[in-house]
Amino acid sequence: MVARFLANSALADTAAAWARDFRLLAPVREGQAVVYRAWAKDMHPFLGRPPTCSAKEALLPQTENLLTYTYRKDQADLTRTEVFVAEPLPPEPTLLLGARPCDARGRKLLDRVFLERGVEDPLYAAKRRNTLFVTVACERMENTCFCHWTGGGPTSEEGSDVLLFAVGADGGGYVAKALTPEGERLLDKLPEASRAAQEELAAKLASPPSQAVPGPAPDLSAAPERFLKLFGNMDFWMDESARCLSCGVCTYLCPACSCFNITDENSGMKGKRLRTWDTCMSALYTLEGSGHNPRVSRAHRLRNRVGHKFCYHPQEFPKDAGAQPEFSCTGCGRCIKSCPVSVDIRRVVLDLMEKGDAS
Amino acid sequence: MSLNPYLPSLATIIETFDETPDVKTFRVVLKDEAAMRAFRFEPGQVAQLSVFGTGESTFVICSPPTRMDFLQFSVMRVGELTHRLHTLKEGDPIGLRGPLGNHFDYESMKGKDIVFIGGGLGLAPLRTLLLFMLDNRADYGNITLIYGGRTPEHLCFKGELAEWAARGDMRVELTVDNPDKSWSHRVGVVPAVLTDLAVSPENAVAVTCGPPIMIRFTIQALEKLGFTDEQIVTTLERRMKCGVGLCGRCNIGGKFVCVDGPVFTQAQLKELPQEF
Repeated sequence: MVARFLANSALADTAAAWARDFRLLAPVREGQAVVYRAWAKDMHPFLGRPPTCSAKEALLPQTENLLTYTYRKDQADLTRTEVFVAEPLPPEPTLLLGARPCDARGRKLLDRVFLERGVEDPLYAAKRRNTLFVTVACERMENTCFCHWTGGGPTSEEGSDVLLFAVGADGGGYVAKALTPEGERLLDKLPEASRAAQEELAAKLASPPSQAVPGPAPDLSAAPERFLKLFGNMDFWMDESARCLSCGVCTYLCPACSCFNITDENSGMKGKRLRTWDTCMSALYTLEGSGHNPRVSRAHRLRNRVGHKFCYHPQEFPKDAGAQPEFSCTGCGRCIKSCPVSVDIRRVVLDLMEKGDAS
Repeated sequence: MSLNPYLPSLATIIETFDETPDVKTFRVVLKDEAAMRAFRFEPGQVAQLSVFGTGESTFVICSPPTRMDFLQFSVMRVGELTHRLHTLKEGDPIGLRGPLGNHFDYESMKGKDIVFIGGGLGLAPLRTLLLFMLDNRADYGNITLIYGGRTPEHLCFKGELAEWAARGDMRVELTVDNPDKSWSHRVGVVPAVLTDLAVSPENAVAVTCGPPIMIRFTIQALEKLGFTDEQIVTTLERRMKCGVGLCGRCNIGGKFVCVDGPVFTQAQLKELPQEF
């Protein structure tokens, strides 16, 4: 496959061209944050650092319609009301620009839930089939990054249709590598990457700067058993969750968290049934009508988040013996970076490994 | 049924009546007559009822698949959706998604003595299986129902309790915590009655449902009587949204109550992380 070149100076025009064929979601700066927005004229895509939000918005929007309903009076008997229900329109073809390899790997983890667990989710499946990811490889890892702990890496190709590698040659831009036939079609208008650009990239990949990967990954293959060993140790979970505010930002920004709520929004005689992101860190998540709550404290809820990612998920989707388990975590570090009280899931997992081994 | 698991079938309420001051029974048929004729489910399965504009909630289908004139749901008024549901009348439209979840393994119960132990509205899922067994009476051994509530007024399915007691082919033991002057049955909590009756575990299965505290002490009492974990069957409740194993909230460890349950044996529950 021919490596193409996307010059920085051509980025906006190329994005605009893609936006003619796709609903284009591109990262832009808004205040301190980098967020995905639907393409608009004069928009400046910003690929300089990982977006604050994960790319799951493209496949599992924060809010989406499950159905619409309308109540109408029965004209034959005005004391009665009838209800009519309609399904949402199919999604438009979408291109997500500027995801990072951790986000692209998140697609696989969302597939596990929405396509492979049992019932196929038709809304997710439709989006998944016609959404492309143009991903930016990371030049270095930030101090919250730990994708190499969970089977990924700063230049991991998994889940992307195109991977862009930043280079300084030829005035600055990206060497673009197509990873799927759809990705190749996206690039067919771009010039071939120059020899200088390709050589610069090869040199970078051959000897990544020393700060690119912060420390070797620990062996987490025993994490599921260690978790179960510590499941009933509420002192452990109280300690780990002592600072947690139950704000849920960790789950909302997570590329792998997929829990959702379903609510109705009424407007006169009609309305919508909506699916929205939900968070297992909220007490309301499991609160029952009777007042009973199986996860009554923050300790219970943090335990569920960590347990789902590092125990229940690998048990549900087992790998061959000896292989690294698949965790429901891509190591993107957003939960660490944005936590208002600095709860660090790496610390929790390392504590699990250590204290779950003691007994 | 649509391939979209979130899309309810439209249904009509054909009858409602009060069971207790806060429990109302709804009899429902699907609007599409062919769909109603084709509707199949197993005892213990649940469905999501929709009041469009308020939301959805999960309820057990408490009529048996052997009696398909309607689907019956008995609903306690506790939250927003159930308050709204209680205001609906005969002829009102609702949505129904189902059947969902697993079911009672009535095949493996054939030839055995069955002990139903229920508290309050926990009798609803037991009613489905009990009526199914009464409609296939020859397949099962002795059938006993031990049922309790806070007061006589709080017992559900009152008319049927007398009917079942009068049948002669099953035993009915009723108890309340707080009797009134007219009460002629037992007084005390359900697990105490169970112990009192010294129900034999020999070739028997116990099926229990009720408030969490009742289930806890009932299982202790059953264990003391010699019931093994495989002989104790219960059906769980959790807050649910999607009902098809995707939205996440009803998990106990790696299992989802909405698809792996709601029916579990005590042996299965002991395999799970203890988060009840």
